[in-house]
Amino acid sequence: MKLQARQGLGILLLLAGLGLAACGGDSSQGSQAAENGIQAGSSNYPVATITILTHSRPGGGSDVFLRELSRYLAPELGANIIVKNVTGGSGASALAELARAEPDGATFYATTPTFIYTSLLARPAYTYEEVDPLVNLFIDPELIYTAADSQFETLDDVLEKARNSRGLWGAANPASLERQSLEQLKLATGINNAAVISHEGGGDLMINVLNGTLDIGVGEAQELQSQLEAGNLRVLATFSDQRLAEFPEVPTVYELGHQVIVRKFRGLAAPQGLSPELIQRWEAAIQTVLEHPEYKASYLADNLRPNFIAHAEYQEFINAFASETRDYLRTVGIVE
Amino acid sequence: MEAVAGFFTQFFDIYLILPAVLGVAWGIIGGSMPGISPSITMALLLPFTYALEPSFAIVLLASTYVGAEYGGSIPAILIRTPGTNAAAASVLDGYEMNRQGKAGLALGISLYSGVIGSLVGLSLLVMLSGPLAQLALAFTPPAYFALGVLGLSVIVSLSGESLVKGLIAALFGLMVSTIGTDPVSGISRYTFGLSDLLSGIQPILVMVGLFALSELLRQASNTEDTRVKAAPRIEFPDNKLKKRLILPQSIGALFGGFEGVMPGAGGTVASFMSYNEARRWSKKPDEFGKGSPEGIAAPETANNTVAETSLIPLLSFGIPGSNSTAILLGGFLIHGLVPGPLLFARSGDVINDLYVGIFIAAIALLVIGIMIMPACIWLVNRPRPYLNAFILALIMSGIYSINNSLFELSVMLVAGVIGYFMRLLKFPFLPTVLGLVLGFMIESNFRRSLLLSGDDYSIFLTDSISLILLSLAALFIIGSLSRRLLQMLFRQLKTKVTDTTD
Repeated sequence: MKLQARQGLGILLLLAGLGLAACGGDSSQGSQAAENGIQAGSSNYPVATITILTHSRPGGGSDVFLRELSRYLAPELGANIIVKNVTGGSGASALAELARAEPDGATFYATTPTFIYTSLLARPAYTYEEVDPLVNLFIDPELIYTAADSQFETLDDVLEKARNSRGLWGAANPASLERQSLEQLKLATGINNAAVISHEGGGDLMINVLNGTLDIGVGEAQELQSQLEAGNLRVLATFSDQRLAEFPEVPTVYELGHQVIVRKFRGLAAPQGLSPELIQRWEAAIQTVLEHPEYKASYLADNLRPNFIAHAEYQEFINAFASETRDYLRTVGIVE
Repeated sequence: MEAVAGFFTQFFDIYLILPAVLGVAWGIIGGSMPGISPSITMALLLPFTYALEPSFAIVLLASTYVGAEYGGSIPAILIRTPGTNAAAASVLDGYEMNRQGKAGLALGISLYSGVIGSLVGLSLLVMLSGPLAQLALAFTPPAYFALGVLGLSVIVSLSGESLVKGLIAALFGLMVSTIGTDPVSGISRYTFGLSDLLSGIQPILVMVGLFALSELLRQASNTEDTRVKAAPRIEFPDNKLKKRLILPQSIGALFGGFEGVMPGAGGTVASFMSYNEARRWSKKPDEFGKGSPEGIAAPETANNTVAETSLIPLLSFGIPGSNSTAILLGGFLIHGLVPGPLLFARSGDVINDLYVGIFIAAIALLVIGIMIMPACIWLVNRPRPYLNAFILALIMSGIYSINNSLFELSVMLVAGVIGYFMRLLKFPFLPTVLGLVLGFMIESNFRRSLLLSGDDYSIFLTDSISLILLSLAALFIIGSLSRRLLQMLFRQLKTKVTDTTD
């Protein structure tokens, strides 16, 4: 009997563990709050705790970016910041949660092109039009790269091959800005004979560029960093509006005569109806944080390029981005 | 010699033992929760690692992966619910052994095979990182297509009595796998305007419904308790059985080692293929599906080997091959370490710590595995109504906690009802699971290959890896089919003979 009692205790412990695992989703967020728990000072921010939603899973691009940002932003605003991963429906769930939240300064959402794509492709109950783009922080440059041992030395070589025989160009995902940028390049250069082949993520794509299956791929600097440093990849051009500080010798697609500029943005959105005072507060805080020396060193090391856009212009920016994307999706027949 | 000495000094480093033990314990708990995959178990831990030392954090995450891959087999054996995708193959014989009152032995075999798989995987990781990494580069879209076809070819021999029913079940799985975003064009397919369906239906939802919920429904309609009480003690295989398990474990380690290296394949193909091959080469193939210890050893060795070898493409190229390694990549990036060609040169000490940490994790797996077993066996010996109510609560909360989504919960419930009827009509589940898991990989790589070749089908024969894998698949299918035909003829002859004697 004694043995049984001990086993009973064991199972109780096991159950407690399982219970913990079951509500782990919440507990991890709680812990993050504690970890970021830079206490609210003597400030007058209307709420004690700010929640920033992201459709990225823990460890994903936006998640890492937000957690780093919140370390510096929390003391600046004078409130705790929690990062909450709402992963369902490619951003639709996070968007719905934001749209339904009160505009009291307690809930925000990390914007990336994904929230425009999901709004246009899935027509969810709440789209980008039901939320308020607040400010932009970064624009990640998209680079055209090839294998170091490939025959292509310039973007013109790549286009030449596509004109003469057949181009094999790779994008990370089917509904992605990378694919859109290549399709736009095809339109701008008048090349029809290039297949734009989408993959299951940037890693999958990079393998097929490295082993020579594809002529070129498109990716962010951060994804390519380790292979570039090892000398396995070569950057041919960038889709940014001007040359990049890290790659001063790499030309922009635009200066090569093809009118394509791609802006992969990272910013924040709020529920509609946020008060002008709070909007100003956030604009000021984000600008200060972007200049914070420690934070600056950290995001520059991660190949993020600061590109602050204030609230008024950000709405126009997002709307322009959305209408450009809608045109593209119609052109390639993804939506009617 | 220096390396060996260094290894032992490191082995006693508390800063490696602590994360390895914690990670394995957490991994087993997470992995044994239905619906909580190894990657989710790791993701829950990720926020805690920000403040930790890099080595501590990486070892913690990697050990969690090791623990979770083993943990997945616990509910597979005890409650017919695979805790992870890769544990689905262990359900077959594991649950049968449990029903025969041999839960202790089944868990013992799974643990023993898991530890062996981890150690083999670690050796492959340490010794063959360079050469095996080249294999990942050689895999092009046609080769991935062929790999998926090879995985599907197992259906012919996994279908049980009726091949037609097996094929129907597989087609059902393939059809479900087409729901979601089209892998090539990006068009939404069969989503009926529901944004919840955009990213497709997760195989784990269907598996938990098919296996676990349908079993609960069946038991509810059958009031008799036919279970045999399991002896409340851990049983490790004796020497005779250990000898018998060497072959299936080698098969498992081979497939696991191979598949882990290829990004994107995960461990599921390896566990199913090794189950199938273990049966083909077994001296007692008839026992498979009726509680064969070999049927647990092969897939469990395979999926635990994958946990280590899948680190090869991650460390060498910075390319995560699965959701779990993607989380691990996140762990590396948080600490400013960029996996890739230069990682070994720049952060060799962290890699070293990782190797030692995984070794400690394999040992910890054994110890912790033994410690929690009595509790597990006590659990399955509870009166059935209590047990079933507990299981239902467990799987519902497990599925809900993945994304806090009621939609996913209803997908699981619908799958359970479908599973109940499939069971009544004697349709096998495994082909459905295989179709669902492999459908996306086969379709996307098929279409990608044709885009590459400009609609020239010969690309599948000119790519040498694809040619080899497709030939193997053809060989498997023809072999299994002819065996079936022979059996049928034999049976008919037998009935004729008995007819004439009457």
